[in-house]
Amino acid sequence: MRAVILSVLLVLAAPVLQVTVVNGWSLPGGVPDIVLICVIALAPTLWSFTGSYTGSRTGAGAGALLGFAAGLAADVAPPADHTIGRLALVLCLAGWVSTRIPADDGAGRRVAGAAVVALCASFAGGVLAALLDGTPWAAALAPGAIAWTTGGAALVTAGLALLPRRRSFGRVPASRPWYARGGRRA
Amino acid sequence: MPVLLALAAAALIAADTVTPLDPLRAFGSAVYGGLEDAASAGVRWASGAGRLEDLERENARLRAELLAVRRATPSPAEGNGYQVVSAHAVGFGRDGTVTIDAGSGAGVAPDMTVFDGDGLVGRVLRTGPGTATVQLATASGASVGARLEGSREVGLVTGVPEHGLLRLGLLNPSADVKPGDRVVTLGSRDLRPFVPDVPIGTVITVEPAPDALTRTALVRPFARFTALENVTVVLGPLPDTGPDTQAVTDPAAETPTTQQQPDKKPEKKSKKKKKKKKDSSGHAEGA
Repeated sequence: MRAVILSVLLVLAAPVLQVTVVNGWSLPGGVPDIVLICVIALAPTLWSFTGSYTGSRTGAGAGALLGFAAGLAADVAPPADHTIGRLALVLCLAGWVSTRIPADDGAGRRVAGAAVVALCASFAGGVLAALLDGTPWAAALAPGAIAWTTGGAALVTAGLALLPRRRSFGRVPASRPWYARGGRRA
Repeated sequence: MPVLLALAAAALIAADTVTPLDPLRAFGSAVYGGLEDAASAGVRWASGAGRLEDLERENARLRAELLAVRRATPSPAEGNGYQVVSAHAVGFGRDGTVTIDAGSGAGVAPDMTVFDGDGLVGRVLRTGPGTATVQLATASGASVGARLEGSREVGLVTGVPEHGLLRLGLLNPSADVKPGDRVVTLGSRDLRPFVPDVPIGTVITVEPAPDALTRTALVRPFARFTALENVTVVLGPLPDTGPDTQAVTDPAAETPTTQQQPDKKPEKKSKKKKKKKKDSSGHAEGA
């Protein structure tokens, strides 16, 4: 349960981080979408956690719900001035697809999957922005921003995939969640 | 479940396109505005800028006074200065908008001018209790009435968001405009959304268009929109104490006397109407 609450809190705090810190960075080409990275990286862990208790179908729903909540938060967090529901739709689908990546795959496959989902979601989000809100295409589909987001999603997923392995070297109480027991669902 | 949520998101998009979901945005402003304000204040405090607040406030007031003094056509009807509030840019959006940490609690309302030490920033789009959303002059939907500082030619400045530049369209197709000319705001009636003579930027290139109805030029803005820190919001004219404006007393002060003497009511009402008429005609002359 702790993992679920932590994921939801992280994802709801992500728009604040995005708006106050990340959008102020002057990176070449644009800035990464922290909210999207959070959803893509956290949705698979959510699936594995709830899935181990309730079966995989509810788990997929939890990922979609996580994405929907994050997207809606990003849609209404102040400087946003676009159609409400735009990010909720994209992130809901991204969260749902992310949960389809099996968590007991190898780390390499999970990272590749996250990168592909991030790339597609950024692209879809840009197309929706241009169609719904009249954002100029060059700004909506800035290659730099998409590259940062894709790279960020791969990096964070890799970090989460490697973290449990390091933990598993120590003693692992049976009460620990699945990922502390060697990265495999029990 | 995923399908239901996707449908819910699509329904939200449809609803917001038909009738803007402003209560939801107000909720977002209230909750996330406070969080952003706190996060930004924490960052500023950590970087040791907390003691500068008083100086910033004074700086904002001085900037506003400077702006009022710079005005080329002083009109006594609008007072000697502006009532202002200083704010920090606490959040940067991707829709050509920023969040500032002054909201309706500080007197900020939609369609107020926002500028900083360099020049025009934009106008207030909507407000929350402690924060406000500002549309930058470079946003794709923004347009600002403008004039050339030297020749007083009138035009319209619109955003060119992908390059951080502005495009000036002059109404007079044969207007004399050359690189280096300064562009300032034209100003609107009642100072909303823009007060007059705020510097916007300098002309960098004039676009050759011999048979166009307007003359267009690219303008580099003075304000650095990607690195905004302290901004100033113009709330309105200063409540003036001069003899000219005291003649127009506000209606709230008059109501107690009219309630005490009901037989004099019609007379007073007609007087008020006359005053209002005078007031509006004076505005028209000033504009």
